[in-house]
Amino acid sequence: MMMSQHAVELCTLLIEDHFGELFARIFTTLQRYERLSLPRLKFYSRLTDRQLRHGLTAMIQHHLVYYFTSLEDNNTYYESNPHAAYYLVRSGKILNLVEDRLGEYAARVMEAILFLGHTSVSHLETLPELQSLTPTVPNGVANDNEELQEDEMDAEDQPGKTNGDHAPEGKPAPFHATIKALASHGYLMRVRDAHFQSPGDNLLEAQRTVSSRSDIKALKGKRQQETVASEIQELVHNRTHADLSQELMVNGLPRGIKRKFGHNFNGLENGVGEHQMTHEEIHWPEDGDGSDNTPMESGLVVRVNYEKLDVALRNARFVTLAEQDAPPATAEVYDCLLRHVEYATFRCRDTDEIPREREEGEQWTVPIDAERILGDIDPCLDLSGAFAPLESSSQSVNRGGKRPLENGVNGDHEGSDDESSGPNRVWEVNQHLQLLSQPPHNLTSCVELYGVPKWRVGFRGLARKLRHLELERMIESRYGDVAIRVIRVLHAKGKLDEKRLQEISLLPFKDLRQTLASMQSGGFVDLQEVPKDAQRQPSKTIFLWYYDPDRVCSSILEDTYKAMSRTLQRIKVERGRLKDFLEKTERSDVKGHEEEYLTEEELELLQRWKDKEALLLAEVARLDDMVAVFRDY
Amino acid sequence: MSRFSKGKRLPGAEFTWDADPGGVPDTAPTPLYPAYTVPWTRKLSSKEQKEVDHYRHHRERDQEGPHYSVLDSSSSSAKKGTAARVNFDPFTGMPSYAGRYQKKRRTLPHIDPTGGPYEFIMKYFPRELWQTIQPSFRPDVDMDGYKPMAGGAGMKRGFEDDEDDGDDETKKKRANGEGDEEGDGDEEGDLLDEEEGQEEWEEENDFEDDEDEMGGDYNAEQYFDGGDDDYGDDDGGDGGGEDVL
Repeated sequence: MMMSQHAVELCTLLIEDHFGELFARIFTTLQRYERLSLPRLKFYSRLTDRQLRHGLTAMIQHHLVYYFTSLEDNNTYYESNPHAAYYLVRSGKILNLVEDRLGEYAARVMEAILFLGHTSVSHLETLPELQSLTPTVPNGVANDNEELQEDEMDAEDQPGKTNGDHAPEGKPAPFHATIKALASHGYLMRVRDAHFQSPGDNLLEAQRTVSSRSDIKALKGKRQQETVASEIQELVHNRTHADLSQELMVNGLPRGIKRKFGHNFNGLENGVGEHQMTHEEIHWPEDGDGSDNTPMESGLVVRVNYEKLDVALRNARFVTLAEQDAPPATAEVYDCLLRHVEYATFRCRDTDEIPREREEGEQWTVPIDAERILGDIDPCLDLSGAFAPLESSSQSVNRGGKRPLENGVNGDHEGSDDESSGPNRVWEVNQHLQLLSQPPHNLTSCVELYGVPKWRVGFRGLARKLRHLELERMIESRYGDVAIRVIRVLHAKGKLDEKRLQEISLLPFKDLRQTLASMQSGGFVDLQEVPKDAQRQPSKTIFLWYYDPDRVCSSILEDTYKAMSRTLQRIKVERGRLKDFLEKTERSDVKGHEEEYLTEEELELLQRWKDKEALLLAEVARLDDMVAVFRDY
Repeated sequence: MSRFSKGKRLPGAEFTWDADPGGVPDTAPTPLYPAYTVPWTRKLSSKEQKEVDHYRHHRERDQEGPHYSVLDSSSSSAKKGTAARVNFDPFTGMPSYAGRYQKKRRTLPHIDPTGGPYEFIMKYFPRELWQTIQPSFRPDVDMDGYKPMAGGAGMKRGFEDDEDDGDDETKKKRANGEGDEEGDGDEEGDLLDEEEGQEEWEEENDFEDDEDEMGGDYNAEQYFDGGDDDYGDDDGGDGGGEDVL
């Protein structure tokens, strides 16, 4: 895969940061010379044979290198995998997401899988750090841990264990339940042989296989081409298909969802606790009969499914977008809708590249009705507080009058209220989703199926919207609000000459010209000359301004890669300045006993260094958000 | 004199800078350090802080893991004239007692299919790396009915590699023998000659590896080696001394 200079630089820095210089050297060599056999690689990289063999083995383990053994000459060729290298930077986000959704133990399992590259379930089970539920290094508040454990326990393995008391030490970790939860969410996938070959090789191999088949050869002309194309697609799909979520879903929902019920309202244990139980029983019959912690297929080899995690991260991004101009309750409802959508979405888009502006059709997700969403919403969540009291029907007046008082946290009231408010809550959920479907973002859209309103999301349009918002944010911060107005006009109207642009945007000529000139030098807008005669005299030429979001996106993406790699280099420089001190803190006797061995000033220095590094890493993470918007969503 | 006594202003006085204090004439040089608002990053939100912590934890695990490996550990016993030797730090680079607590860096990823945290599943690796994972594996013995391909394909390979070798040599000449290994081309020849030669080649390779491994450690023999080299310089110094006397 050809990549730009800065992207390669970034990947190399990431690999170096995680795995050291040897990997980085092999990676850059492969990146520079594309695919190489071992002797060639040895020649170009100037490494010893042993270094190369060990390095390549370890890199294949981490999926940083693809290989392909040709059947014709029996040579093995190696190729770099920049995709996997880039995703090293997203590991923090991925782990945080998993922790949010499935609890701390699941995050630890995930981290182990990230660390191992790929691994069989049976091997993973034997890892010492995954044996107990409590982390080996206590890093959280005790109370928080307790809550998490309780949560996991009641979600996953209540009936299997005879002792009902919550003794965290004696409890073996719900390893299989967690693995199943991760797999059924789609965050893990099965490792197939084809995953070790680059996508291009897979395609070529499939082509070769298909075209050598006798029944294909018998076909002629256009028909043959069509059959070959579809067969190739099918073969590639069969070879790389690795989804685990479908077979592990229960009633179309993944297992072990971490419920938010009762988290915020600790005072409501009596009423809501009961309610929560019944809810779980309704929705989770499989959990009830203890079949959950049965071991997974032990020979199964799993790895992290980055495609699916991108979907989850994208949904989180849309929820923050919703939070910006909708009440928190609405954002919560939206979050639940997106969860349901996520279970049925396997990747962010079907095409490899982001299609060009205005050439992309909308793809709608599966429609989901409000009742299913309601099942996931925290019953204590006040859905009605965001709306003005209704005055149309008599019942609504009644409820409307009462509503502002109702949001007091009052357990038994809620409990008794629940039955009667069933359909009403559905109506409220619909109202919230209706609110989200409004412009400017159109976060949802409604379809009526058999008279029931169902909700769906048009991700392609929303992803485009995200890109535009990101660009506008950037333009505004660089060139001010005049520029943003000009850009919006140009985007809406297409190519315009200066006079027309001025008329539409209602800006003084001076401002307009200044902004346009500075934006042109920044590469955001461009000028097209249309000569009226063959001489191309400037007086007889029409100059048209235009704004091409695709072009701007790709150049910004490159800038972002560059900024990321500069930030990582900065961390290296800052580290180099404190090298001796940091080496001291990393000594095997000092590490873990910092308070004991370091002086007060040194501790302070260490803390300052950690804060500084955190700031820079967070900056990289923010830039990575932009990369995700421009490249992945 | 008389021209200026009438209270008229000096010629050119209308262009004086006093009229517009702080104003800069059109021809003035552009300021070297224009006013610039330094952008500040936002403070980390709690979510970001958690993400960073996760990232750092994961990175630290990778760094502590058996696959983290650096290229050259600079040491006093490195080969003469190499970068490692030149960059050797004489002040802190010498091995000392406290050095045993220092973090040690591998120069080679540690591949241990049984003991380490990693599990190597053979079928996911190319055949030519199997011996790296499991040293007991013999490439010429068939496993699971799989026979290494030989015969007709060999011809093609031989031809290709001859070409490669030639290439190597010419390039090496151009690079003026800068390569870190002398037997580069020869080894390749061996590797490519015959399947049977592979074992011998492995032994050869092992020997070479020993050398490499020693490179990381303190090497008493080379200590005096270095001394030999210095001797020449000393000689010159002595000569100078004689002259003075």
